[in-house]
Amino acid sequence: MTATTPTAPSASPPPILALAKRHAAWLGPTIAVVIILGSLPFFGISLPDVLIRCCPLLLTALAVTIPARTGLVNVGGEGQFFLGALGAAVVASGLSESTPSLVAIVLIALGGMVFGALWAGLAALLKVASGVNETISTLLLNYVAALIVAYAVTGPLQDPEAANFPIGAPIPDSARLPLIGDVHVGVIVALVCAVGVSWLLARTRWGFKARAAGGNPIAALRGGLPVASLIVGALLLGGLLAGLGGALEVMGPDGRLRQGLGVGFGFLGFLASWLALHRPGWVVASVVLIASISVGGDSLQIDLSLPATSVYVVTATVLLVVLGWRGNRTGEQS
Amino acid sequence: MNLTRHMRRASAAAAAALALTTTMAACGSDSSDSASADGGKTTATIGVLYVGPHTDYGYNQAAYEGIQELKKEMPDVKVLEAENVPETAEASRVMEKMIKDGATVIIPTSYGHYQPAVEVAAKHPDVIFLHQGGPKAIKPNLGTYFGQIYEAQYLTGMAAGLSTKSNKLGYVVAFPIPQTLLNINAFELGAKSVNPKVKTNVVFTANWCDPAKQTEATKSLLDQGADVISQHQDCTKTVVETTERAGAMSVGYHADASSLAPKGWLTGSVWNWGPLYTKMVKAALSGDFASSPYAGVYRVGIEDPTIALAPFGKAVSADTKAKVEAAEAKMRSGELKAFTGPIKNQAGKVVIPAGESPDAASLEATDYLVEGVVGNIPQS
Repeated sequence: MTATTPTAPSASPPPILALAKRHAAWLGPTIAVVIILGSLPFFGISLPDVLIRCCPLLLTALAVTIPARTGLVNVGGEGQFFLGALGAAVVASGLSESTPSLVAIVLIALGGMVFGALWAGLAALLKVASGVNETISTLLLNYVAALIVAYAVTGPLQDPEAANFPIGAPIPDSARLPLIGDVHVGVIVALVCAVGVSWLLARTRWGFKARAAGGNPIAALRGGLPVASLIVGALLLGGLLAGLGGALEVMGPDGRLRQGLGVGFGFLGFLASWLALHRPGWVVASVVLIASISVGGDSLQIDLSLPATSVYVVTATVLLVVLGWRGNRTGEQS
Repeated sequence: MNLTRHMRRASAAAAAALALTTTMAACGSDSSDSASADGGKTTATIGVLYVGPHTDYGYNQAAYEGIQELKKEMPDVKVLEAENVPETAEASRVMEKMIKDGATVIIPTSYGHYQPAVEVAAKHPDVIFLHQGGPKAIKPNLGTYFGQIYEAQYLTGMAAGLSTKSNKLGYVVAFPIPQTLLNINAFELGAKSVNPKVKTNVVFTANWCDPAKQTEATKSLLDQGADVISQHQDCTKTVVETTERAGAMSVGYHADASSLAPKGWLTGSVWNWGPLYTKMVKAALSGDFASSPYAGVYRVGIEDPTIALAPFGKAVSADTKAKVEAAEAKMRSGELKAFTGPIKNQAGKVVIPAGESPDAASLEATDYLVEGVVGNIPQS
């Protein structure tokens, strides 16, 4: 082999390069994730804690990604996550210690997904039936979701041993997610979901139609695409993922429904998806970054005695950096 | 066009610089870990969790001030603090982090930190947990302490009963747990002891600190004609300020908020945690926690310096002040009890028979409101 063959399209590139090319969408994010996770020990941030935090954030982020690619803004991850946790607690209340572990976990996860999807479906229905803007409806439904959970933990699902304190009854031990080291398996489920969403959007017919509808809804409609059903489908899928996040949080770290469970996770997921421009691979990377910052917030407080709010400053700074950088790039293009 | 591009570049650069500074500050943490703040030798490390900010004119501020006093008393103890720690698995995570950082005593200060503390305590039998306000202590390395602050609420109820013109008092409450029900009951009983016509209206907000709900609740109580407002919330600022703005009187809770209500401040029940925190941490570090009174359920009454009345405000007459102070002295000597039968519940049924004064443990099972309290316990 000499260097005189500049480009030979017929010759197949080395296998490693072919692999890289085929998975280009995941190469950059993977490198970014490795860099972020690799630098955690340097900052004294616990890796298992970051991974555990990634699970709910990744799912609430993906709940934004699918609708966003379909041209929708889902700000309701917070409420869908909450309803998913509620659905999980409802199903768990009907199970007992004797239910086999796998059956219990699958049933509870399904409960969370159904509740989350229905909650997002409400916004989809409003949008399709009467043109209500989904940004507004999903946002407002968050508050309703919080009130429903507040009702559940002070009423039907309240722990009878809690002396009127508003927390849900603990779920059966058999329904708690198994651990790999210090990390529950929900993290892997979330990662699989991210790969699944990537595949759905890039490789399937539905994904193509959804992206077409997101790119130009009028053209999509004229082209004969079922835009209304795509909208409903995208929001249902989003809600399903956020609801799964809620269910995993109940079966994972918390073990019961609580009023303050995962407050802010929906909005952090929203931030992560927008930072990544709704590209699933980069969504994973931005979730890892945001999870590291929010877990690292403990170190800022505990080790450095900085105010608790300093973590918000850091998160906002990251957002500003990305926006500034993006604004700069689009500025150059125009 | 060119200008905006430069501005965008500049803003991106500024933001990046800010991020870098913060990150570098975080990197520095490892090196400063080994020495305590004043450069002295660290003999032990303890961790403290607050559910809210330390500037809430309430529960967390009281706990925070107690810890600052402990730091002064025990300068060789390194104190790790974390505020805004939710009552979820987050609390477990923060406790684990503190233990990893070397803490051998953990003080989770919120009621809802109890469950996470029990779980972490089971995993770390060598670490002592001192939980604030918990119902029971089911682990040998976990004790729960609190004060019978309802005794002080009886006294502030007297001040309210003597000061009210409308004979209607208002009470903004978080959750209907025994701790809060006891306070409302004692407040109404104290008020009734000096003013038989007085009633207390209650509103539950189902939240320790939600300023929007607090404003609503306070306004609705004022609309119902209440002219003295008390509360059981973690952050007390909003209720006190809303009351002051409406020209009504305030009875504070947890911490002295008299500066927020220069006109309408009566008094309040406040915590003075410093001495107790110091005693407990010394016991926990002594190596013989199990035989100290703090292992298990530990309660202090009004005879202990932990519970105090906030200074009286301008709205309190000299006569009222004298009556409340006399009752306080009687209470400290044990002559007067907040709960002495006959006491009837809202339905008129006798819950504490004539002549009986139940002890703290049996009072902590309170699940009713006394006669004279208007409003229902949210039913489950």
